[in-house]
Amino acid sequence: MAGRSTMSLGNLKKVLPNLIKKDQLICEISAKKTLEVASILQQQGFDYLLDLCVVDYLCYGVSQWDTQGSTQGFSRAQVQPVLDESDWRGSRFVVVCHFLSLAKKERLRLKISLDDDLTMPSLTNIWPCANWYEREAFDLFGVLFTDHPNLNRILTDYGFVGHPMRKDFPQIGHVELRYDGETESCVYEPVTIEARVSVPKVVRKDNRYVENE
Amino acid sequence: MEAWSYRLAVVDIESQLNGLVRNGHSVASLGDLIAWAQGNSVWPATFGLACCAIEMMHGASSRFDMDRFGWGLFRASPRQADVLIIPGTLCNKMAVALRQTYDQMAERKYVISMGSCANGGGYYHDSYSVVRGCDRIVPVDIYVPGCPPTAEALIYGIIQLMMKIKHEQQWQEDRL
Repeated sequence: MAGRSTMSLGNLKKVLPNLIKKDQLICEISAKKTLEVASILQQQGFDYLLDLCVVDYLCYGVSQWDTQGSTQGFSRAQVQPVLDESDWRGSRFVVVCHFLSLAKKERLRLKISLDDDLTMPSLTNIWPCANWYEREAFDLFGVLFTDHPNLNRILTDYGFVGHPMRKDFPQIGHVELRYDGETESCVYEPVTIEARVSVPKVVRKDNRYVENE
Repeated sequence: MEAWSYRLAVVDIESQLNGLVRNGHSVASLGDLIAWAQGNSVWPATFGLACCAIEMMHGASSRFDMDRFGWGLFRASPRQADVLIIPGTLCNKMAVALRQTYDQMAERKYVISMGSCANGGGYYHDSYSVVRGCDRIVPVDIYVPGCPPTAEALIYGIIQLMMKIKHEQQWQEDRL
């Protein structure tokens, strides 16, 4: 729209060399450069951290998720994920942040590839709202944020072991809870149910395949 | 007492009672009267867990109006409540709080498990963080099925529990 002061892509590209524009501005960096890029983004007017989430690329692209070929259904309930078949060659965990510049009406996606130590600097000093996002990322994926004011679990049970949103975490978990009348307290026990893969009702032969047969 | 004199006594009491009823009184045994009063004034504890709680609110508000049965006064404190309606998914993290709430309720307490999740885990049966049925934590009187049950279904369950409270003796005999 005329008169809107949109952000100059050229100027932004000078300070952020690996910036690309697909459906929106995307910048992929490594964890070491986080603070450097974050301060640049802040200077460029991205004053709003919309979201911070983590992607686990373990067994990315493995055919269990293919609804056409799969007879096993698709589920995270597998006990041992198939690692060899994945064609993903990037780092396993990628932290994805979405930024919004309210003044310049521009959005930007920042993808931070983590090394094997799963560590990145905390963004709470620049965007205070990152506090709980990072606690959630730590809780569910085990990403460690250095210099975070209070890096505790935020969602899972007190004393929970593991990071449940990781692809190699079994869906049924490791423990289950019941009330024990003798000790008059809730006790944890090893999980008793079997892991299972739910097979949804998928129409595999529909009119799209009539001509081929 | 021999049989004939017992029969005479019963007839005597009956004629006395008939006299009372004729004079505008109504007659009941004290146990029945207390059970009737208890069944018609049951205060639930406020314990909304998930989407079933929305249906429970529908049941409590004007269209269905649980207060018709004397069940509409939701108490914020379990110490003042008679029945614990468990409407929704019970997570591991919440289970201890649920048990505490149940333990804090005064005796003559009842539990209604509302919806699939509370009955047996339901949709989240395979989850790592969900208790597979709230009867693993507290004893349950009435299970209301559904996902979520309609407000009518909850009220049906409430009537069942009301019948249980009013006819506790009969209920126990039927169970045996």
